[in-house]
Amino acid sequence: MDIAEKLTEELECRVAFTIPVLGGIPIPESCVMTWGIMAFLVIASILLVRKLKKVPKGSQCLLEIGINWMNNFFLEILGEKGKKYLPFLETLLIYIGISNTIGIFGFRPPTKDLGVTATLALFAIVLIQISGIKERKFKGWLHSFIEPMPLLLPINILELFIKPLSLCMRLFGNVLGAFVVMELIKMVIPVGVPLALSLYFDIFDGCIQAYVFVFLTSLFMAEAMESEE
Amino acid sequence: MSSIALGAAIAVLTGAGAGIGIGLATSKAAEAIARQPEAKGDINKALLLGCALAEATAIYGFVIAILIIFILK
Repeated sequence: MDIAEKLTEELECRVAFTIPVLGGIPIPESCVMTWGIMAFLVIASILLVRKLKKVPKGSQCLLEIGINWMNNFFLEILGEKGKKYLPFLETLLIYIGISNTIGIFGFRPPTKDLGVTATLALFAIVLIQISGIKERKFKGWLHSFIEPMPLLLPINILELFIKPLSLCMRLFGNVLGAFVVMELIKMVIPVGVPLALSLYFDIFDGCIQAYVFVFLTSLFMAEAMESEE
Repeated sequence: MSSIALGAAIAVLTGAGAGIGIGLATSKAAEAIARQPEAKGDINKALLLGCALAEATAIYGFVIAILIIFILK
């Protein structure tokens, strides 16, 4: 069937180009999209940080509003101990937010690829455990597997992997679902309707999923960092 | 061929749970706002977060259905 074939083709991750080194390394298009987003963010950061004044004017106001909001939001969950993780979490939030909503411009969101979301979940696992180890020292971290009851040891070990797995699948599923629905709509009615529905699927859903991903990561980090004083 | 369709259809039934759960949560949120309109901001935030998390289980079902359709032959 025509629609089924087109849809299957859209769902696959295409190889953008191949580096002719060591017998050709295929570069998937989600990788190229990520590079594009990185370049955009780096250039935007450099341009916005020139000539900062003590009394803000113009674009610096917006920048300060955004950064203040994010800082307050994370400090509320993580407490004072979490200050060193703020830049990483905020970058994660901005990157996931942009890559989810890039569907509006006609590109394919990099988070549609299971590899990208799995990598982000890997970041989350490592970050949560490192924050726990740093805060409670190695023995305290090992001890946290036995709280609150030694009987829960297998469940605690499982939780180590299941929490980031659920993060990954939630993000992947939402972005894939939004993408599939948008593609189907565009195939049936190419004009007008995609705009209104894209407001919900692409923008609203994408922003909320980015927010939820980072919020849950910081929540797990706060849980790992809390020590019983 | 038909067992694939059946499997995918059963997988997507998880959406029912999410629908009921989010409906209940929204009704409680509406009640809470009616009781204390000044807390609208906090209630809104809590509702949105809860809905995004509850939606996840429905999305898992959707992902499994997609995997079944496209990977099983």
